[in-house]
Amino acid sequence: MGKAIVITSGKGGVGKTTTSANIGTALALMGKRVCLMDLDIGLRNLDVVLGLDNRIIYDIVDVAEGRAKLPQALVKDKRFDDKLYLLPAAQNTDKTALKPEQVKAIVDELKPEYDYVLIDCPAGIEQGFMNAVAGADAAIVVTTPEISAVRDADRVVGLLEQHPLTEAPRLLINRIRRNMMQDGTMMDIDEITHHLGIELLGIIFDDDAVITTSNQGEPIVMNTDNPASQGYRNVARRMEGETVPLMKIEDQGQPGFWHRVSSWFHRG
Amino acid sequence: MQAAVLRGTQNGYDLVIKQSAGLDQVMIDLKTLLENLRVDPKADAGKISLDVLTEDRILTAEEKQRIEHLVSQYPRFEIHKMTANVMTIADALQLKERDNVHLLSKVIRNGQDVEMQGDVLFLGTIHEGGKLCTTGNIFSMGNVNGILQAGYPEDETKLIMGNLQTAQQVRIAEQFDIVEANELAASNQTIAYVNDLHVLSYGQLDQLKKINPKLYNQIGGI
Repeated sequence: MGKAIVITSGKGGVGKTTTSANIGTALALMGKRVCLMDLDIGLRNLDVVLGLDNRIIYDIVDVAEGRAKLPQALVKDKRFDDKLYLLPAAQNTDKTALKPEQVKAIVDELKPEYDYVLIDCPAGIEQGFMNAVAGADAAIVVTTPEISAVRDADRVVGLLEQHPLTEAPRLLINRIRRNMMQDGTMMDIDEITHHLGIELLGIIFDDDAVITTSNQGEPIVMNTDNPASQGYRNVARRMEGETVPLMKIEDQGQPGFWHRVSSWFHRG
Repeated sequence: MQAAVLRGTQNGYDLVIKQSAGLDQVMIDLKTLLENLRVDPKADAGKISLDVLTEDRILTAEEKQRIEHLVSQYPRFEIHKMTANVMTIADALQLKERDNVHLLSKVIRNGQDVEMQGDVLFLGTIHEGGKLCTTGNIFSMGNVNGILQAGYPEDETKLIMGNLQTAQQVRIAEQFDIVEANELAASNQTIAYVNDLHVLSYGQLDQLKKINPKLYNQIGGI
């Protein structure tokens, strides 16, 4: 029996969809069977980020209203050999088209088939949020080190505490700029985690490649050397129960002159 | 035994309605009693005010009305008030809620409003955008980054005590203050209260006797 995890934030534009796509892909790379559910009805993006937008035949509203069976609507990502599937959102209706019970029924149908069902929640705390939370066992709250995102995350954590899921929500801090955090001009990771009072699941560094890869429909996780990619891989490993230390904020930078000289002698 | 007894006290007359008798019996006895008093030639002409005591019995509104109606037929008498020795559990709980100091230790997050009855000793954290609201006083030992409201909805005698430096707003009844940065000292002995001019102002704990003598005496000050 798999676990359903909702990825939410309250505020828009903090990277919920990117996070969903990358964590899902990272888990699939680890050999887990993952189904990504896009609940941002009317403004679907998860399919685009995964590069699966032109393969959509049916969507979640078709399944909820009985026009299609669930397996018909699932879009398989061929890159991952039967490990990663997407249940796309509808584009021609709005968030009131679904009811929480319908979403829960779909999630419950998916859970036995997959190790993880990741639910990409729309921004806001209205009907769309309620739908996304309805079937979830756990939650990942995504925020960025900005006061507005942290405030909204606080609100969402409050809502999740009012309607508790099986597991307590965990925090993912996205778009961390190393240089600003080193200068102290950006909110500190410890400060955010302490303020929100929930467990920190991971931190993701801001990187230009996240945007370029996402535009090409290929999640950044596929690029092994990228720091953002490492962040998402670490998150996936922690979700699997491994103990992985947080990545260092300090920039490694270019090695110094003497370091390079000494490395010649160590080479042999 | 009579179910309705008239008893003279220092302050006037009590009409005692025995709890052991049924209400129908009470009505019969009460009527007899009032009839007897009406024909008593020695009685003077003044109007007699009755305090009705129902002992360990709570009368319903309808039953009270029956008694009031009967008494109103005798112009010499009028009912001042009806009291019982007992109260309903719901009323008792409300009274308990109102008069107790409630301990509250929780995180009040952005967008959450916590409404309480009576005095509150707050030990938790209020995040920006969170609000703690009560009908009584607030004594805060926690971290307040949100809004505190005492004396809701309109009791200006209530006060808020604790470190209010980091709060967003302090409200007492309908008065409010938007706490500006550096307006208050970081002291956990700050008291917010409404002064005689109905303006919210701040003082320190050692001035409590002057600020709110009633509370000061109630909690044991001399």
